[in-house]
Amino acid sequence: MPNKLITQENLKALVNELAASYDVFAPKRENENTVSFGKLQAFEEYVSGVLLTNTTAKDKVYLQSEQLFQYELKKDTVEFKEKAPGKEAVIFGGRPCDARGFDVIDKLFNWSGYEDGPYTGGRKNTTIITVSCEKPETTCFCTSFAGGSPADGKGSDILLTPVSGKFLAELLTERGEKLAAKYSKYFSEAGEAETAAKAEFAKAAEAKIAKKLDLAAIKKNLDASFDSFYWDTVHLPCVKCGACTYVCPTCYCFDITEKKFGYLNGERNRTWDSCMSEMFTKMAGGHNPRTDTKRRFRQRFMHKFRYHVDNFKEELCTGCGRCIRRCPVGIDIRKVVEDAK
Amino acid sequence: MSNIYIPHKARIASIKQETADIKSFQFELLDPEVRKNFKWKSGQFLILSVFGVGEATFTFANPQTRSEYVECSIKKTGLVTEALHDLEVGDIVAIRGPYGNWFPFEKFKGQNLLFVGGGIGIAAIRSPIEYSLDTRNDFKDITILYGGRSPLDICYFDKFDEWQGKKANLVLTADKGSEGWKHKVGFVPAVLKEMKPSRDNCTVITCGPPIMIKFVLKELTDLGFAPEQIVTTLEMKMKCGLGKCGRCNIQQLYVCKDGPVFDYAEIKKLPDEF
Repeated sequence: MPNKLITQENLKALVNELAASYDVFAPKRENENTVSFGKLQAFEEYVSGVLLTNTTAKDKVYLQSEQLFQYELKKDTVEFKEKAPGKEAVIFGGRPCDARGFDVIDKLFNWSGYEDGPYTGGRKNTTIITVSCEKPETTCFCTSFAGGSPADGKGSDILLTPVSGKFLAELLTERGEKLAAKYSKYFSEAGEAETAAKAEFAKAAEAKIAKKLDLAAIKKNLDASFDSFYWDTVHLPCVKCGACTYVCPTCYCFDITEKKFGYLNGERNRTWDSCMSEMFTKMAGGHNPRTDTKRRFRQRFMHKFRYHVDNFKEELCTGCGRCIRRCPVGIDIRKVVEDAK
Repeated sequence: MSNIYIPHKARIASIKQETADIKSFQFELLDPEVRKNFKWKSGQFLILSVFGVGEATFTFANPQTRSEYVECSIKKTGLVTEALHDLEVGDIVAIRGPYGNWFPFEKFKGQNLLFVGGGIGIAAIRSPIEYSLDTRNDFKDITILYGGRSPLDICYFDKFDEWQGKKANLVLTADKGSEGWKHKVGFVPAVLKEMKPSRDNCTVITCGPPIMIKFVLKELTDLGFAPEQIVTTLEMKMKCGLGKCGRCNIQQLYVCKDGPVFDYAEIKKLPDEF
């Protein structure tokens, strides 16, 4: 796929035009201290300088709480009604680690012989336009992962990288190509010089990420450390708030609940859940295999860097570092898994 | 786009009160097409919807050889089961499934079978018991050890004649006996020890409360049974049954898709979490 170029002015015009016909979600100031993915009315609302939005764009596809179906009990039967598919959406201005998160959970929602319609329906309806990171944060560690980079396009449909006052636009999927073709008036052809400049950009950005985890060594240590005394103390600062799971681009666990409207009708919902909650594994009758914080804490890290790797050959983490920044007691996922023995 | 969370409609065809807190339900799938294609194997499970309350996971109590209805024996323990106990014949529920793996009966051919069940765990092994009785010639001796807390907690009295009539040796026990109780008194593991089953050419299928399982495994190991000879079904909280919601994850396994049937050798490789 030949790369394209887009100028700052054209990008602005493109986003404004997109906002007229799609739901465009982009980093937007929610209040003085918070930038999150919000629905964009105009390009001016887009906050371009923030790497780590408060939460990821995950919830624009995999809703925090979504209706699976509605039911209505009738005489001798029950009727189900499915939600109509949502408007086509564009996630604009997310970062490579966010986009990669979609790529990671896509696999989960499609494995085990079952395609999760409510998730994949939203996913197919969404075009992801990502912007490469020039100055990674101190908590960033995307380069630890195979192919991970502040300028990596995995999970994105279009990747924009700033080069010589413009953006190099890499069209990475059919969906990305389609969108660029539809709005071709805003794009021009990129030359070899710009593509080379992108490689330079990537190299420079990667060099700014100080922390690189040795994932093979971590996996080996985790494989052997389930019964280790390490877990007896490492969890102690944790206050079980679950913020780490909430802001994570790859945490996917959910609960299924029911909301009753009346005696005869209601809806079945799916809601994000957290392995840090005691209720997560508590069964009817009271038995709970993970009764205490130590067990739940261990499960979270083991799942991300060991169990998931056994099943999917990749970590359940993209190195965005949000859990590090959001943790009220400063637990650093990099340190937790690196120190496990 | 396939919404795998929409269940099959069903109606309650019959309810039988087994004990004070256990009822056996027969469910009839409403759509004849679905009913025809709804096939399961002993050991698999289903997810039942009680509208207005939610979903819960149950094992099939009847085997594929007796599949006119979907049958579940359900103890009142949580929100969904309590609501279910309040329902009546003719009420509408819904079913998703079947999910999970099943007892590998092809491996057990020509062997003696020993079933060890405790409490509501009997619901999970009634299906393989009746399957083995329906394919009786494939197996040698069939022995069933079943215990409850008291004689009043024993289910399936109406089935015992048939089980014994098909040449199964049935041993009943109650943790505490009562007047008129002509069977054994004592915990299941203790009775098992007394029975001294031979490990030769024998597979054990067991299900019951965690504490019973723990000591049954110990007794069987003392009797020389190899871990591969002991098969059980694991219990773990589940929501989706489809390997997605994440909560039945133990090590790299998801109990809902890799289980719920495991042999003791596989369980020994798992962390000590349940």
